[in-house]
Amino acid sequence: MSGLWPFLVIGLFSGSIYALASMGIVLTYKTSGVFNFAYGGIAMFCGFTFWQLRDGWHISSWLSLPLLLLVVAPVMGLAAEYLFRAVITLSAEIQIVIALAVLAFLQALVPIFYGGSERSLNSIFPTSTFRLGSSLHVSWTQLFTLLLAVAAALALSGLLSRTRLGLATRAVVDNRDLAELNGVSSDGVSRLAWVISTVFAALAGVLLSSTVGLDTYSLVLFFIYAFAPAVLAKLVNLPAAFGWALGLGVLQSVLQKYGSSGNVADFESALPYLALFGALVFYGNALKEIRSSFRTITVSAPNRDPRRFAGSVAAVVIGLAILPLLIHGSALGDVSTALIYAAIALTLVVLTGWAGQISLAQFSFVGIGAFTAGHLAGAGGKGFLWAAVVGALIAVPFGIAVGLPSLRLSGLFLALATMAFALIMDTLVFPRNWVSGGYTGTTVARPDIFGIRFTGTLSFYWLSAILLGAYALGASLLNRGPVGRRLQMMRDAPLGASTFGVNLTLTKLAVFAGCGAAAAFAGAFYGAMRLTVDPNDFAFGASLELLLLVVLGGRALVPGGMVAGGIYLMQLLPLSSTVESYIPLGVAVGAVALAQYPEGPTTRSAEYMRYFSALFRRRPLRELTDGRLVPIVFSSRRRITSEPAEVADAR
Amino acid sequence: MPAEDPLLSVREVTVHFGGVTALSRVDLEVNRGTITGLIGPNGAGKTTLFNVITGLVTPRSGRVRFDGTDITGWPRHRRGRAGIARTFQRLELFGGLTVHDNLLAAWEASVPGAVLGMRRGEGRRVVDEVIEKLGLGELAGRVAGQLSTGQGRLVELGRALAARPRILLLDEPSSGLDQAETEHFRDLLLGAVGRESGEPAVLLVEHDVALVMEICDRITVLDFGQRIAEGLPAEVRSDPRVVAAYLGDSDAA
Repeated sequence: MSGLWPFLVIGLFSGSIYALASMGIVLTYKTSGVFNFAYGGIAMFCGFTFWQLRDGWHISSWLSLPLLLLVVAPVMGLAAEYLFRAVITLSAEIQIVIALAVLAFLQALVPIFYGGSERSLNSIFPTSTFRLGSSLHVSWTQLFTLLLAVAAALALSGLLSRTRLGLATRAVVDNRDLAELNGVSSDGVSRLAWVISTVFAALAGVLLSSTVGLDTYSLVLFFIYAFAPAVLAKLVNLPAAFGWALGLGVLQSVLQKYGSSGNVADFESALPYLALFGALVFYGNALKEIRSSFRTITVSAPNRDPRRFAGSVAAVVIGLAILPLLIHGSALGDVSTALIYAAIALTLVVLTGWAGQISLAQFSFVGIGAFTAGHLAGAGGKGFLWAAVVGALIAVPFGIAVGLPSLRLSGLFLALATMAFALIMDTLVFPRNWVSGGYTGTTVARPDIFGIRFTGTLSFYWLSAILLGAYALGASLLNRGPVGRRLQMMRDAPLGASTFGVNLTLTKLAVFAGCGAAAAFAGAFYGAMRLTVDPNDFAFGASLELLLLVVLGGRALVPGGMVAGGIYLMQLLPLSSTVESYIPLGVAVGAVALAQYPEGPTTRSAEYMRYFSALFRRRPLRELTDGRLVPIVFSSRRRITSEPAEVADAR
Repeated sequence: MPAEDPLLSVREVTVHFGGVTALSRVDLEVNRGTITGLIGPNGAGKTTLFNVITGLVTPRSGRVRFDGTDITGWPRHRRGRAGIARTFQRLELFGGLTVHDNLLAAWEASVPGAVLGMRRGEGRRVVDEVIEKLGLGELAGRVAGQLSTGQGRLVELGRALAARPRILLLDEPSSGLDQAETEHFRDLLLGAVGRESGEPAVLLVEHDVALVMEICDRITVLDFGQRIAEGLPAEVRSDPRVVAAYLGDSDAA
């Protein structure tokens, strides 16, 4: 037993940090209904800010820490509250994407502000140790961190249970509208909650980065661990979040005693994700999305004009045919990668845009396809097509596994479940040597299909273009046919769809499996383009980026998928490093702008195009503006939203 | 008529929501080729009864039989395919699809194999018929999410008809409609019910008591989750318990 004590101490330390973070996440969720995916980003940014204040500008700890906790963090909290209040009534995938954009924004901002993305930060507490009992060494940092977490929890519960402000908060949590009617400012309450939550994030960020180091990527990932206790507390119960967080930290640490490498270690790092996935599936219907009111976005009817369809197909084909005349070499290779990326994006257009099922695990399927192709395709690319098909078949059961939570969950909670799935794949499946060849990776041969070898850059470019063409055509046909209608029925009104005879269980599992298989098939080509793939290529972050780009491009349209590929291409092209560092920033700002134009720029530009081309054809204006989407400049309607029934009735 | 085997029969259905009894041993019959009215004050349990029939709510006890078959345990999509179609009080349109596609999607959902592209011509014919019948031609190309409530109610009716129902469940179809729209709606409804063929029969939940008295063959009255009256419109109208329920007269109860 005595051997366990040191691990218990370490576990309580990391558990305390999880506790701060999960309480922060629960607090904003229960008061404003926003699940803060960007929590780790805020903590990370605060960590860097503290480094700059104390180690960069040599401001004493006694001044820089209060500056961080009382000025910087509250300002960030207020800014975040302002941003998220605008999106709370939008659909879940837009909320998530905007939170992810904030995360990406902060990640992109750090190197620009602080001139680097890695720092080492010393603890704010003394790292010297004292002895407890005969042999147990505890550092002051560990002790103070635990005390700090306990103090924060007690202060928060005191605030909620003893003060008028706490009473107002509880009223808002209970029923926002009713609280407003009784004179409680729910905006004030949610501002306060965001400030407290951000201060917790800052504390957790500073404490954590002194032990695991300060960088823009892994620190953020570490905070995902805190999602599990928050969900285990059903996102409302603060004391439960505290308890689960400490429990998780201790359990992880104790597992470390039994193995610092191999299966136990993998299981230890996957534990929070398994807990998250399990909690979501287990609680299922008990989890409630908190929203004050619903604003649905209606997309305009897709244009069914066959001439326009033929025209846009011709334009794309001609464009792709001319491109190799203009660019060569590695730039053409980058374009090929982007074409395959667009094909992958189209699978997410079908899954999220049409079927309404959010997935943060789509790149895991790409990985399945790529690794399968690496193992099965012969050295000269013989049998590549078969390998891709086998990869797609292997993806089917995985697709069903991701789809299972969707039977009970939707929106935010489905996103969290798919995220947990992707992270489980990252920690338990992809690192295996027999899957991926470990971190040295797997080589994937360029394909040899029906005796034609696609080894060179140009020939592979043609192959990528054909792949994207097939996917785009397939998606277009699907959207026009009965299957597309069925998916959109399920997205728009699941209750209505099921009473008319749609088997939701079957449809959801089929669409997850189908889109997973399609992503895996494209994944084989993605692997062949890269020549060597390793688990990092398909890490959770890639799935996040895919969802971000697809929503940004326009998630309900085939051209939206292509725009996603286009944005991806911008990141690949060899540009100057200054420009490169600003692209993620641009993407992030674009995604934040979604709060204003939630239909996505592609939808909007499609509307503009339709409007102008109709003008050109001299149709009567009345026909154009009658109830359809029109560009804002021509319309008194600012937003394209469905109005509440009362407003429509009043007209 | 009552001697005949009813198309839909609900027997002693009880539903609890937490500690609240929403329905208590409620009976209901709908005969072939008829319009049955279901009325009652707010909170009487009318929509809950609809939800029991269409499978959105599972009753604690009691049975639902459709055309002689016990469907109590059926999943809701199976009921839809068996010919039970409904409209929703809070519109449940497929907001991103056009009106035409809303109808077509409903037809496809109710016909086995249609999702794979079978019997496509038949589907388009059925949809065109319904659009013609309800005068939806002008709306057919519009996106359902942008319609007004009145238009939406009409599309909901059209969608239910396109599913080629054997029984049509209409939940407050005239709420949010003006006088002219309500009259138009009444005519459509009278035209939709299959008087000769026996199908579709209609079960109508409605607040407009005058409309119900005018067009229904039989009426069932619910109050606080219990059936307090059942009979011809004239019988129900003069029933003291019904009068009490609507006027809140405590002596009559």
